[in-house]
Amino acid sequence: MNKAGERLYNGIIKENPTLVLMLGMCPTLAVTTSAINGVGMGLTTTVVLVMSNLLIAMLRKVIPDSVRIPAFIVIIASFVTIVQLLLEAYIPSLYSALGIYIPLIVVNCIILGRAEAYASKNPVIPSIFDGLGMGLGFTLGLTLIGIVREILGAGSVFGYRFLPASMDTLTIFILAPGAFFVLAVLTATMNKIKSRSGKADGPTADCDQLCAGCPNKSCIGRSQNNG
Amino acid sequence: MKENIKSIITLTLITLIAGALLGYVYELTKEPIAAKTLEAKLDAYHKVFPEAADFKEDPGIDIGAAKSVLSSAGYPDETIDECLVAVDPSGNALGHVLSVTTAEGYGGDIGVSMGIGKDGMLKGIEILSISETAGLGMKADTSEFKGQFAGKNVSKFSYTKSGAAADYEIDALSGATITTNAMVNAVNAGLEYVGSLAGGADE
Amino acid sequence: MGKLLAIAIGSAFINNVVLSQFLGICPFLGVSRKVKTAAGMGSAVVFVITLASAVTSLIYKFLLVPFDITYLQTIVFILVIAALVQFVEMFLKKKIKSLYNALGVYLPLITTNCAVLGVALKNVQNSYNILESVVNGFAVSVGFLVAIVIMAGLREKIEYNNVPKAFKGTPIVLVTAGLMAIAFFGFSGLK
Repeated sequence: MNKAGERLYNGIIKENPTLVLMLGMCPTLAVTTSAINGVGMGLTTTVVLVMSNLLIAMLRKVIPDSVRIPAFIVIIASFVTIVQLLLEAYIPSLYSALGIYIPLIVVNCIILGRAEAYASKNPVIPSIFDGLGMGLGFTLGLTLIGIVREILGAGSVFGYRFLPASMDTLTIFILAPGAFFVLAVLTATMNKIKSRSGKADGPTADCDQLCAGCPNKSCIGRSQNNG
Repeated sequence: MKENIKSIITLTLITLIAGALLGYVYELTKEPIAAKTLEAKLDAYHKVFPEAADFKEDPGIDIGAAKSVLSSAGYPDETIDECLVAVDPSGNALGHVLSVTTAEGYGGDIGVSMGIGKDGMLKGIEILSISETAGLGMKADTSEFKGQFAGKNVSKFSYTKSGAAADYEIDALSGATITTNAMVNAVNAGLEYVGSLAGGADE
Repeated sequence: MGKLLAIAIGSAFINNVVLSQFLGICPFLGVSRKVKTAAGMGSAVVFVITLASAVTSLIYKFLLVPFDITYLQTIVFILVIAALVQFVEMFLKKKIKSLYNALGVYLPLITTNCAVLGVALKNVQNSYNILESVVNGFAVSVGFLVAIVIMAGLREKIEYNNVPKAFKGTPIVLVTAGLMAIAFFGFSGLK
């Protein structure tokens, strides 16, 4: 059980995919126009992440190494489509709010990254908790960004407006540029915290890190040799 | 070689199982999705025509003819998806409800439902589907904006940026003129179409 | 013709794929240090997205729709894109060596560029026909090329600026991207 707790801590705090590793930037910026969208996207991704980690850990001895990336992609894409259909059927409001970014969960670095880095090498139970931790960490990051943007841009939190209607809000924070600005300040803060604690070896939010941290890059390269 | 064949077989198997599973979930969710869409539409109809008890198809309405009516009236980018007759509990016609789709939105199609009384009074509008910019065009789906259309008996709306004065004027959403224009055109197209029905039929 | 032009301008500038749709952020931030590499990456993306748009819309129209299996689109598209990228790479390596030398290193990175899948899905969502899909794909990727080259040009200058320490690296790049996004708002007047 200790292992499970460690995995959760790792995903939510230590290697938080949004705030520390800076993975999955595309939905992070696109759907965080409001806090509730952030939560919705985060939880949707969590479900896919847990399911794909579970299945990939189960099949890790069956899938031959040479076709593992295509196999992972098939598994992830299936779960994404299943989740998409279920959302359309049972939570249509979330389905239409997230739109095209639901199918794009397939190419979210976090999912293939966890499959490759963790689930394909570890037993089922820890893999589930790894997915859960990473997913919740992602949800936390998105919700945080969503809350900041909603407060500044619409004067509300989770749709509850606390500013008087006569007061104008900074709409730009809901628009595209605002997403970049909020994330910029957030990463600058992380940089500051990191430089203060004096840890130079931790994962720094450097530009090359963005893509280097994405294991897809390396694994696509490898799968090619066998292709 | 043997390894290769094994790899290919495994991958094919995984893909087949995944495909079959997806097919199953698709069949499973097909009905709820259709039901949800229908429910959302009926909900919107009840909102835009609160007096109506039910909505019935009128065999006399040929939706296929709408296209030519609209394009000759100057709304080539609008489509009438459905036009039903709103009836009271005893079955008397009260007016029409429509769903209109406009392709003039900033972020793609906007679906609008509207209710029009027999006297030509626009009872109200609701948005069925919209994907405009959050914070700008998305404000079309607020009661402040939609309310501007309700309860007005005009043949054509237009939008203004300097404060609506007349009945037919709609305050444009700030920073979202394109969305406003699309909404106004969708509503106008609906009015135009229902107007053509009333003119054509001898009620 | 008018519709094609509207699609092209809309996709390349007004709804710029990076600055307003947030697709392809990863290479946009990661491969924009130097104008030369940015241009290489951008050209590779133009090549792949245009091709992928054509192939995916053909598959959608002649395979998924007739068999009523459009719900498989995500899974089919991503596999097709991955295969396409590998195929293009192999083809260029064997036949057009010069192009391979210019674009080769960027190709493997493109499979995971969500702009490629994003464009394929958008083509379907907007029910574009095959010609419109190709035009849209080309325009979207040109928008990507323009954005990443401008970004690289700016970053080459930022190198010499005195940026606050905490903002060095990603944060200042994100601020720059935000300002570019504001500048691109100017294009919305074209619609």
